[in-house]
Amino acid sequence: MNVKLRSAAFSAVACFVLGGLLAGCGSGGGSSTGDTGGTSGTSSTSGGSLQPGDQTPDPNKIKIGLVASINGDLKPWGMDSQNGALLAVDEINKAGGIGGKEVQLLIEDSNSTPEQGKTAAERLISKGCVAVVGEVASGITAQIALAAQEKKIPVVAVGATKTELPGIGEHVFRVCYTDDLQGPVMATFAYEELGLRNVAIVTDNKQPYSTYLSKTFRDSFEKQGGKIVDEQFYESKQTQFGPLLTNLKAKNPDGLFLSGYFTEVGPIVRQAAEAGLNAKFLGGDGWDSAEILTSGGDAILGGFFCNHYNNQEDRPEVKTFLEKWQAAFGGVPGTTMGALGYDAVGVALDALKRASDVNSAESVLAAISETEGFAGVSGVITLKGSGGNPDKRALVVKLAKEGQVYEKAYEVSEVKR
Amino acid sequence: MDLGLNVWAAFELSTLPQQVINGLLLGAIYALIALGYTMVYGVLRLINFAHGEVFMLGAYTALFASWFLGYGKGSTLETSGPANLMILLIASMCVCGIVGVAIERFAYRPMRSQPRIAALITAIGVSLLIQYGGALVLPIAPPPSINEKVNPYRGVVTMNLVGGDPQLLEGYEKAKIEFETAEKEWQAARDAKAPDEAIRTLRDKKNDADRTMGDLQRRMDNSGVKIRIPQGQLIMFGTTIVLMIMLTYLVMFTAVGRAMRAVSHDFDSASLMGINVGKIVTITFLIGSMLASAGAMMNATFLGTPLTTFFGVMPGVKAFVAAVLGGIGNIPGAVLGGFLMGIAETAVIWAGYGQYKDAIAFIILIVVLLFRPGGLLGSAKVEKV
Repeated sequence: MNVKLRSAAFSAVACFVLGGLLAGCGSGGGSSTGDTGGTSGTSSTSGGSLQPGDQTPDPNKIKIGLVASINGDLKPWGMDSQNGALLAVDEINKAGGIGGKEVQLLIEDSNSTPEQGKTAAERLISKGCVAVVGEVASGITAQIALAAQEKKIPVVAVGATKTELPGIGEHVFRVCYTDDLQGPVMATFAYEELGLRNVAIVTDNKQPYSTYLSKTFRDSFEKQGGKIVDEQFYESKQTQFGPLLTNLKAKNPDGLFLSGYFTEVGPIVRQAAEAGLNAKFLGGDGWDSAEILTSGGDAILGGFFCNHYNNQEDRPEVKTFLEKWQAAFGGVPGTTMGALGYDAVGVALDALKRASDVNSAESVLAAISETEGFAGVSGVITLKGSGGNPDKRALVVKLAKEGQVYEKAYEVSEVKR
Repeated sequence: MDLGLNVWAAFELSTLPQQVINGLLLGAIYALIALGYTMVYGVLRLINFAHGEVFMLGAYTALFASWFLGYGKGSTLETSGPANLMILLIASMCVCGIVGVAIERFAYRPMRSQPRIAALITAIGVSLLIQYGGALVLPIAPPPSINEKVNPYRGVVTMNLVGGDPQLLEGYEKAKIEFETAEKEWQAARDAKAPDEAIRTLRDKKNDADRTMGDLQRRMDNSGVKIRIPQGQLIMFGTTIVLMIMLTYLVMFTAVGRAMRAVSHDFDSASLMGINVGKIVTITFLIGSMLASAGAMMNATFLGTPLTTFFGVMPGVKAFVAAVLGGIGNIPGAVLGGFLMGIAETAVIWAGYGQYKDAIAFIILIVVLLFRPGGLLGSAKVEKV
């Protein structure tokens, strides 16, 4: 007994010592630079004044749930989506709420994993949320959709671009475009604007997002008359890409389409430049992070990717949104998920205004599916008769030293699918 | 992806030497991490699943050390030198050595008298603790990656093994001139704000010239044999080899090394012969962790992968497989296993089956284990009951 207690005590000490070491590292780094704050630099949350409110469900308020990746790999996106959501709810409450009732935003963390996303959604539903907003990734959204299926709670996805989602159009809606659009957008841009003809594709074999995006790009580019000279594969978390880059170099492509996430695209592009590959780099919205500029270095500058929204776009909605963001959190949103989170909650709130009964998920669901011409920050959103997928425009942005530079906007009709 | 008859079509013989180099570069890091697994298994018969996390902490330590040196956010320092890299390397080796020893002292030692499975589960627990606990305190993908500013070695070392075809060179020179004129025309049209249609035609002409030039260049390159190694990766490889030589010396020619081998041979007898087994285990963890953190520091500095607390998972798994392939518990085996894994993976990619590279790597592992259950250099021992 005594021995067992002792070993338990040792383990506990080990936790503390390790925890202390880790914390020591963190604060040590922070103090030397003055302004690291221990959070990700890709989202500009430091110094923000708008914080999540009281999380205990209040029977006198209308409750909306948000599932966000507050921890884990998707943290930069998750934090931005949370801030966008907070901003939208704060705004409507300051304007007097809906029908005199205040709106309460309940937030649960998905920890960037589908399993915990499902639990988070179930928890929100059991707390009485009439609509659930989230998530930034398709895999997590699919689980939220399943959790909400039985009670037909409406789900508004923030950044889930995967074309196939369970329940899409029935009780699941999104405010972003789908991968069916962004692959062809980049193919059209590459063929017409950049004049590329021989393009090679680099796919992350472990991400369904990446394999599907590669496919839509390939189909559209080949249909337009371009040639896909090679396709190479890697996996998430891989760090060395020499072998596949040597293969690509032998094929001499004018352009590389990298359909994966920024975490690997940055190092690939950097190593591609070292391997002597001289090509234009293109990608999808998985590139959307400030981190890609540091991990990609100079090699990534001049690369193009498809995005939902851009801080520099010259539209009144964008300008007012940025002013509100500046006032609430300071700075500008680091990723596009700030605007999409704001729009997703916006769509839900807009539906609440029109719903016959704000406490019934059924009437809120009916109201969301009737959404027409909602003027979102990321574009006009119409969900009526769209099967849950708004026909939204897509932007092509260019990476420059100062960040993402607006290059061209494509309306759905201009894209050659 | 066709698995059809043209199996050989994808082979590009001219890239073979480059791919062999790529395979060695990849394998060196696997080998370096595999050493930690194999050494710990050698003395304790324990698979230290937290080894990948020590690797991850090594990369973070290097990052924090680089901030400490003044390469943090908003740094104005533009240049760096090898001295800085040495400081990063030593810092991460020291910190990770201590972390490795602490893990052994507080998590594994209390479990030593318990059944082996308890220690194994503890190892998994420590691994998860550091991954998820670390995520609470450590910044995810913090902005100035080490690669950005500290790394002074950005160049590429090029070696011409066989020169290109002179006739192709002549054609290439011609195509280059054509391309340059086409580019100038296009630039001039753009500057003169010519109609879009005209600019587009000129741009297509330029791109066509570019393609012709690139094609000739490729044919020229392929007629000769050329190897390109990024300086950083060359340094990584060199350091790895130096560390391995140092380890060999330590294990084979010093008193500590002899004691280590004795403990590995028979734990109980070694302790009866007066060897301080606890001390040897501590040293083993110290060295294994230091090797991993050296690999991590170089990985973070020269390859540019953003840091997360899951940075060590993938290399950890690969290195573990390499250690098993070479014969876990056997030090030369870990090195052999690491290089074999690197070369096998590269060979699969070279042959055009990159999609299946892990599947094939594991098939190799299974086949080896079927014929040699103890791994390539290990000996399959019958457990005494």
